[in-house]
Amino acid sequence: MSKKITIDGRELVFEQDKTLLQVARENGIYIPSLCYHEKTGPASKCRVCVVEVDGMKGLQTSCSVAAKEGMVVRTDTETVREAQRMVVNLLLSNGNHNCLSCECNGRCELQDAAYFLGIERPPFIIEERQERDSSGAFILRDAEKCIECGRCIEGCNRLVVNEVLDFGYRGGHTKVICDEDAPMGESTCVQCGECVQMCPVGALIENKYIGVARAWETKTVRTTCPYCGVGCQLDLHVKGDQIVRVTGTEGAHPNQGHLCVKGRFGYDFIYSNERLTTPLIREGENFREASWDEALDLVAGKFKQIIKESGPDAIAGVSCARSINEDSYNMQKLFRAVIGTNNIDHCART
Amino acid sequence: MKTTERDAKIQELIGKYPKKESAILPVLQFLQKEEGNTLTREAIEEAAQKLDCSTSKVYGIATYYTLFNTKPVGKYHLQVDTCVPGFLHGADAIVDHIAKKLGIKRGETTKDGLFTLSTVQDLGSCATGPVIQVNDRYFENMTIEKTDQLLEGLKKGNWPENDTSMKVVSQCGILINDRTQKDCRALAFYKKNGGYQSFEKALGMKPEDIVAEVKAAEIRGRGGAGFPAGTKWSFLPKNDPRPVYLICNADEGEPGTFKDRQIMEYNPHLLIEGIAVSAHALKAAKAFIYIRGEFGWIADILETAIGEAKDAGYLKHVDIVVHRGAGSYVCGDETAQIESLEGKRGNPRVKPPFPANSGLYGCPTVVNNVETLSCVPYIIKNGAAGFKKIGVPNNFGPKIFGVSGHVKAPGIFEYPMGTPLKEILDAAGGVKGKMKGVIVGGLSVPILTAKEAEGLVLDYDSCAKAGTALGSGGIIVVNDTVSIPELALRTIEFYHHESCGQCVPCRRGSLTIESKLRDIVAGRGQSEDIDLILSLCKNIKGLTLCPTGEAFAAPVQAMVAKFRPEFEALVKR
Repeated sequence: MSKKITIDGRELVFEQDKTLLQVARENGIYIPSLCYHEKTGPASKCRVCVVEVDGMKGLQTSCSVAAKEGMVVRTDTETVREAQRMVVNLLLSNGNHNCLSCECNGRCELQDAAYFLGIERPPFIIEERQERDSSGAFILRDAEKCIECGRCIEGCNRLVVNEVLDFGYRGGHTKVICDEDAPMGESTCVQCGECVQMCPVGALIENKYIGVARAWETKTVRTTCPYCGVGCQLDLHVKGDQIVRVTGTEGAHPNQGHLCVKGRFGYDFIYSNERLTTPLIREGENFREASWDEALDLVAGKFKQIIKESGPDAIAGVSCARSINEDSYNMQKLFRAVIGTNNIDHCART
Repeated sequence: MKTTERDAKIQELIGKYPKKESAILPVLQFLQKEEGNTLTREAIEEAAQKLDCSTSKVYGIATYYTLFNTKPVGKYHLQVDTCVPGFLHGADAIVDHIAKKLGIKRGETTKDGLFTLSTVQDLGSCATGPVIQVNDRYFENMTIEKTDQLLEGLKKGNWPENDTSMKVVSQCGILINDRTQKDCRALAFYKKNGGYQSFEKALGMKPEDIVAEVKAAEIRGRGGAGFPAGTKWSFLPKNDPRPVYLICNADEGEPGTFKDRQIMEYNPHLLIEGIAVSAHALKAAKAFIYIRGEFGWIADILETAIGEAKDAGYLKHVDIVVHRGAGSYVCGDETAQIESLEGKRGNPRVKPPFPANSGLYGCPTVVNNVETLSCVPYIIKNGAAGFKKIGVPNNFGPKIFGVSGHVKAPGIFEYPMGTPLKEILDAAGGVKGKMKGVIVGGLSVPILTAKEAEGLVLDYDSCAKAGTALGSGGIIVVNDTVSIPELALRTIEFYHHESCGQCVPCRRGSLTIESKLRDIVAGRGQSEDIDLILSLCKNIKGLTLCPTGEAFAAPVQAMVAKFRPEFEALVKR
């Protein structure tokens, strides 16, 4: 049943079980937020998504307050803005939030908030923290840009359940740790990159993406991951004709944005000089390039010869896990109906 | 210890809790002791494996709670409390003396590996400062001479006696017993003085009648917030199939506060009787006493008393577990305490839901302060009407006030609610020197100038009217030898050290204010820093996830606003 709520003087209709932030977003009203993510839900930690609600004392975090019939909400009062500006200034006052050199320029939630609030640079600087962890095979952890929102931790523990990341230490020294505060490359991290996808700023970056492209230079092409039969949906970020980055497609089945290390980072094989572009036929110790017709004729001829000499059960087929369902189906059909054997299996099963 | 014994001990600790992960602090405490006062990497791995949780979670906990040493310390870890009361009692001179004598700086260990020197934030020994905690033992009322004796003794492996002396006055005689009696902690002593009669009476009452009596007594929670305890009890859902948990909040850690330990250390059966009656009223079959980890020996006293009460048949209906914290002020917040009991970092939860509906393990939970629960036997014995004969309207009952700082006889004073501040200060021997200001409810409340404090009456409503709060009743007196900017710096140092680090305004706000105050105190500050601090305080109040933001923003704001010329005098023009 739909209900009504008023935000900034606009009467809006909403469905049951929505938060104020969700209703506002659905209606194009921007409330800056940093620690909230659709997949991990409200955390109420950044305190930047605050609003005023009639009848409720003090500022409320819109990510955690449920929308209720007849609520009157203001997202744009001076009290709200002053609080939001303070929070963003506090975050910017520490570390190295330099958009000029940041890979996240143009797709950064902290940058969006600062721009929206009219903050050019923080009015005070407290400390420079110099911690970069480049030990990970595919992921750079840049603590100078980290805002300790905890989204990466939630992603690691609750979404992909790898349980590598957590918060360590406390107070102003709170930081994200891997295992026993080990460098990522020496930890139990499998580099699935869920943390990178959850990060609202440039604190977790794909190594391969560094210095390659800015957000506005790329277009997104949705596709299905070619690695295995799960069929994960992914977005290729393409600059010119080059894939520069891969992310999981949020909100799409079956993977809901999650990817494994291969799907997320193993895309550059397509540009390898060693990649085969024609069939090769072995002659003695060497291979020679051949046409598809020649190669297929050769294989078909050999199959026929084996069947004639030893019967169809002398042949077995193993289908590749990277094949799609339809190809695997055709493969078993070929073996059962054409070759005449039940010797058919799949590499993910054997 | 043999591996099998070690495993058995860990399993025994796990067995105390409804859920395995709750044993994480006790298991780490045990392993740290086993490994020579240090939590090694192997110990962390072992705990993770035994408790079925990730290494990062265990390490996150080990680095959250200050009593865990993830880096090696010396055989004797000298921890001097330099927080506000310690500072006022001269703790800095002790630190400097030790540093000079041992030739080490703060945080360093002597070459022979014998001593590590650290400064720590509030040990809950405010009237008996300066205090040095050596490993898990307290040495109170320290002087330079006594420090020398302590160090010489430790070098030879001898532990001197602790001097706990301070002024103790109990006008009400309800919460503070005669601690001069050697057997004051024993069940026999307690019973001789009428102990467990309330419990016998309560057993003959219906649980809902006990709740009604406590509600009628209008006792306000003594932890600091002053919320009516009976009302809190009545929030528990009716006819709910889930178990109810009672948690006694004994995590007193607010600078200036050392009242709960007076009950637990000398009159433990009063608290246990209070818990026994309350558990009966709330139909809680399991109760926890969450005591700050620094009070290890007091936890032992409680366990002994629980054993006695159990043997005497008073605890057939409730299993009381003494749970030792591990060094975190924020765990005094009820939802942070619940998180900590569940074996997590002590990060407060977003409310709602409130603990009465969804607390420990998602079950209905009541969290009450030690002093509150210790008032319950008196309420049941004398009825709400009897309780309300003590104190003033809307602020009934006895209250333990702790007085530290610049008075001639710091100590502990049990007086009725609504007693004038002057009367308490007189009982504490009067102000030493000329009073500059007074903090009446623990460090989290706004300071009053000497003039503002004139005629102040100590109850929740009067203090609120005076622009401050009664809080925990921890009174810190500051005389005119003290620099308020220095006091403000000590205040924010405590809160930054204790901030759980979860939300931005507290984590970054406390760090920023601390940094600016440090600049000002060191003479590096600018005049705009003063306005920045005030603006941060104004915006932080009410913006943080839990009350900790308010707990530092309000007192720092008051110190800067009320004593601004002192700050102005230190900044560059």
